[in-house]
Amino acid sequence: MSRTSALSAFVESAPPGELGDVTKAIKNILGDDAVTHELAPAFEKYNEEQFSLVKLPGSNAEVIVSAYNSLGDGRYYDTESATSFAYDHTAGVGSDARSYTVESENKELLNALVKSLRSHGSEHYPAYHIGAYPTTSDTQIALLTVASKYSPANYWNGRWRSSYLFTPSASTLTGTIAVDVHYYEDGNVRLLTKKEVNTKVGGRGGAADVVKAIAQAERAYQEDLNKAFGGLAEGAFKSLRRQLPITRQKIEWEKISGYRLGQDIGGGRR
Amino acid sequence: MADPIDSALDLLRRLNPKDVKQNVDHIIELNPSLEEDLLESVDIPLSVKKCSQTKRDFLCCDYNRDGDSWRSPWSNNFEPPIEEGVTPSERIRKMEIKANEAFDVYRELYFEGGISSVYLWDMDDGFAGCVLLKKAVKGGSWDSIHVFDAQDRARTAHYKLTSTVILSLGTESDALGSLDLSGNMVRQVEQDMAVEDDGSHVVNIGKMVEDMELKMRNLLQEVYFGKAKDVVGDLRSIPPLSQTNRDRQTQREMISSMNR
Repeated sequence: MSRTSALSAFVESAPPGELGDVTKAIKNILGDDAVTHELAPAFEKYNEEQFSLVKLPGSNAEVIVSAYNSLGDGRYYDTESATSFAYDHTAGVGSDARSYTVESENKELLNALVKSLRSHGSEHYPAYHIGAYPTTSDTQIALLTVASKYSPANYWNGRWRSSYLFTPSASTLTGTIAVDVHYYEDGNVRLLTKKEVNTKVGGRGGAADVVKAIAQAERAYQEDLNKAFGGLAEGAFKSLRRQLPITRQKIEWEKISGYRLGQDIGGGRR
Repeated sequence: MADPIDSALDLLRRLNPKDVKQNVDHIIELNPSLEEDLLESVDIPLSVKKCSQTKRDFLCCDYNRDGDSWRSPWSNNFEPPIEEGVTPSERIRKMEIKANEAFDVYRELYFEGGISSVYLWDMDDGFAGCVLLKKAVKGGSWDSIHVFDAQDRARTAHYKLTSTVILSLGTESDALGSLDLSGNMVRQVEQDMAVEDDGSHVVNIGKMVEDMELKMRNLLQEVYFGKAKDVVGDLRSIPPLSQTNRDRQTQREMISSMNR
């Protein structure tokens, strides 16, 4: 693997909120601060895939950076504030804000979706950002939600991302929900999940119906995820190592040579 | 600027623990001077080899390696064979045989399967060693790497144990999609224990490893199924937040009215 692709793989694997730490470590390992130029494409990919946030120039509002609101040449736009801006992926800074009007046949629906998605977000995500953008030659609308929580003082960070494509003509909703959690106190533990969503939007296919379908898919997924934790704890984890031997007693190490496999052990196991 | 090895360890603590072996290889390619320190201080999942003499599987790590060969704890021979591979002194090998028998019982009692291997080596003021355990099932794998040294003192020994458990769990289905929950945790302990003869060492190490694994299993359970799940709950709330906030408000009002 080439140097650049190895470094890019490191960037891609950076946990939520830790891109800066990963970059700093890379610079130090190489003894080369200028490596950030080489990493620029990897930063761009990371930011667009992770729905990184940028403070709108001249405002306090933070908005999403993704492939769906990219205008090319390092510029992105925000639907709600009707603003476009330049984004420096390496520095993580936005600049040069200009007014930008989204052109779409579905302008009304788009605006209604922004509202509905925002009110759904405020009901279920303590800290979240959303985005809605026309895409695929204006035949679909991309709907993004990103909710991150960073607690580096307690050695954990997490991110929930969901992205959907709604097709108004067919009333279908397809997309992915992804969760990324990192815990790193005296270790390194990572939860990475991915779930494909593919559903039909009910009612008349209006904004409220679309967001209702999203809400149902996300609720069902979170419930399934919670069940999966229980399943792993009771299943694979238990069958890997017992908490205590079947006798429920710790080993008498002084008498270990007296334990005979298959007999004393497990008291006649299957 | 921090020492490059500290940065390399910091990076490995952040990147996906599932890719640790590949990430170590990449870091070494990027900065070859880190090779020795990294291979010594980073634990990767254990690989398995078959002892051609006893036909039993054994575990491989840096401590039973000589070049591209690994010493079997069952036969004391290297696989593949090499001329004059480093083996322990007669006294330490005797203890190693006893320790392998003991941890084979331990493995059966706690893991009900899997593979164990113990390797010991001579030190100036005592000896050192590692206890390795590995088990894989459908949907998960467990690797224990316990590295210790024992310093002989009058009628006692001072033990220093560093334990790593690498635990990978995963599941995949249409309803759930894919879920991977993988990582490693490290703990250290030091202890003075009574020693009558070499048999006492095996007993002492056995007790220390058993206590440590019990502690670590509880910790892993807490982190994997408690912490990870809690963080998901912190990111997204199943009950509507307006409801939760109203409930909290009502609770506060009740408490303040009771205090009045």
